Amino acid sequence: MTIEKKLNAAELTITLTGRLDTITAPQLEAELKASLPGVEHLVLDFAALDYLSSAGLRVLLAAQKQMNKQGDMVVRSVNQTIAEIFEVTGFGDILTIE
Amino acid sequence: MKSKNKRISQSFLRWLLVLVSVAFLATTVFLWIIQTRLSEENAISLLALNLSDVREDVSDASDENLLKLTHHVADDLNRMKTIDNAVLQELVNRYDITEINVINEEGIIFATTHPDFMGYDMRNGEQSAEFIGLFYGSTEYVQDYRPTTYDPSLFRKYAGVRLQRGGFVQVGYGAERFQQDIDEFVVGVTRNRHVGSGGCIIIVDEAWNIVSDRMGNEGKNLDVTGLWIDTSSMPENKVFVADVYGQSCYCMYQSVEGYCIVAVMPRSEAALSRNVSVGVTTAMQIMVFAALFIMVFMLVKRLVVNNIYQINDSLSAITEGKLDTVVNVRSHVEFDELSNDINSTVDTLKRYIADAAARIDAELAFAKAIQHSAMPSVFPPYPGRKEFDIHAAMFTAKEVGGDFYDFYFVDEDTLAFLIADVSGKGIPAAMFMMQSKALLKSCAESGMSVEAVFTTANAKLCEGNEAGMFVTAWMGLLNVKTGQLTFANAGHNPPLLRRADGSFEYLKSRAGFVLAGMEGIRYRKNELQLNPGDQIYLYTDGVTEATDAAQTLYGEQRLLDLLNAHHGACAKAICEAVKADVDTFVGEAEQFDDITMLCLNYAGSCVHEEVDA
Repeated sequence: MTIEKKLNAAELTITLTGRLDTITAPQLEAELKASLPGVEHLVLDFAALDYLSSAGLRVLLAAQKQMNKQGDMVVRSVNQTIAEIFEVTGFGDILTIE
Repeated sequence: MKSKNKRISQSFLRWLLVLVSVAFLATTVFLWIIQTRLSEENAISLLALNLSDVREDVSDASDENLLKLTHHVADDLNRMKTIDNAVLQELVNRYDITEINVINEEGIIFATTHPDFMGYDMRNGEQSAEFIGLFYGSTEYVQDYRPTTYDPSLFRKYAGVRLQRGGFVQVGYGAERFQQDIDEFVVGVTRNRHVGSGGCIIIVDEAWNIVSDRMGNEGKNLDVTGLWIDTSSMPENKVFVADVYGQSCYCMYQSVEGYCIVAVMPRSEAALSRNVSVGVTTAMQIMVFAALFIMVFMLVKRLVVNNIYQINDSLSAITEGKLDTVVNVRSHVEFDELSNDINSTVDTLKRYIADAAARIDAELAFAKAIQHSAMPSVFPPYPGRKEFDIHAAMFTAKEVGGDFYDFYFVDEDTLAFLIADVSGKGIPAAMFMMQSKALLKSCAESGMSVEAVFTTANAKLCEGNEAGMFVTAWMGLLNVKTGQLTFANAGHNPPLLRRADGSFEYLKSRAGFVLAGMEGIRYRKNELQLNPGDQIYLYTDGVTEATDAAQTLYGEQRLLDLLNAHHGACAKAICEAVKADVDTFVGEAEQFDDITMLCLNYAGSCVHEEVDA
């Protein structure tokens, strides 16, 4: 998985490519922990994300919880596979998906 | 990472350069001082040598000249019968000399051209007594130009020759006559004489008038050369520095026969020999030091730096986890010891790691036993119950896992069965799993409806969930008598349901959010009527997301197809078939996630009643 960050004032856009699973989730978690302070709008671009495991969901949940306190978070360009995962796990209810 | 520290070779190079430079400078300065002194001494000895040569020449020349005249006089006197003052006066005039004395066998002057000397006893003075030797063997004797005993203000150069009749004749030159005699010679002396290549000899008379000089200043005072000699404060044969003809020179003088001979040598000439010598030696030193410098540097690089690099490579390998790497630099005792030390340290480390691993393994095995014993593991679990057949299995990816299944009766006829998956794996997931499992069971056993169980459990699990863990779970409450099933889904994969007369299908229902994810979530209840022969299969995503070596997922379709291929099989057979198929699919690839499943075949109360009856 590759993580691409783009910070524009208080808006942070993170583009993920590949698989977000047990192995790669800690990478994203560390990245978010370092980058989130001061961010008011977090955009996660999932256009190139192939797979999302429960470990990945945990990181998304943590990010959502933090962004609830300091701004908002949007998940963008979710493909069919990921959308199904969101639906099955109920994450669709708590995430803002565009 | 760029280190701020210097390399050993760089430090060494720097220090070596400093040391070599200091040594080079010291030897050069030392050499300079030695050579300066040496060149000065050379100049002095050269000056002294030339002085004594010239002195010899001058005195030889004057001695010879006077002695020759004295022999002529003696020959003339030998031919005469009588000798008187008049004869002597005539001889003085003939040979153009200053004085003639004739001494008898008693040593008394009995004829002389100097009236005051008549009757003088030669033994009376130190100077005149030297001639007494002529009575005892020697036939001739020449004296230096010097004051007479009789009158110290009177300077004379005397020569004596024995006469045939006994006694001897003494011929003397006065200052003027003496110098007149040898000036011609003395003038020539300096012409072809060089002191070194640029030095010269200057001869002056008693009045400091130049007698001989290469520059042709004869007749002028010594002042024209720039030299100034004070005989009282400047001793003979002692070098002194003076400007001669505008050049700073080493000078030395000596008096002889009424002359003063000065040897002069430019200091620049002495310095030249020193400069050449120091220059040549310095050039050679530079070459020697450069060679030494390169050799020592190469040696250190080869012996120390390369070995350190070699050890470093081994250490890097060890750091990367290749603990079996052995450091083996044996070229020198120090590196040998270092290698041994590192190897023994790594060995100790390996032992500790092995010990720790063994301990962790033992603890994990224990934890695994606890986890498995927490779930129903005896099948069939309710041998007396014929309304249903239930089987479940869990295969953890690590020793302990985050999946779990559970089933129990919450009242006489209501069977609770569930499957759940905690996010993550390993010990944190296992601990959260135990907590979740206990919480769900206590809620269910208190008689809550299924959605209330989830809502309550979620609220409890959210408390103090600092690690941000969550659980997906599917739970059903089945009235085994009526076949009425109420269930709720907290973000879990939908189970598969097969009606008695149909095939398996995914039991899609609107899922609620995962448990422990967010506070205040309310779950919905779903209802379903099971009929005898219906079958329900619960699983975690470890099944559908099992991956083969080519990263292909097992997939929901393959699971569906497999289940349908085992139409009518008992719960245990279904579970075993799925596990076997997943294992075949995965092949050699590592199991990545916990695999858990639960299968329930509903037979219905009629069967139960029949058995009861």
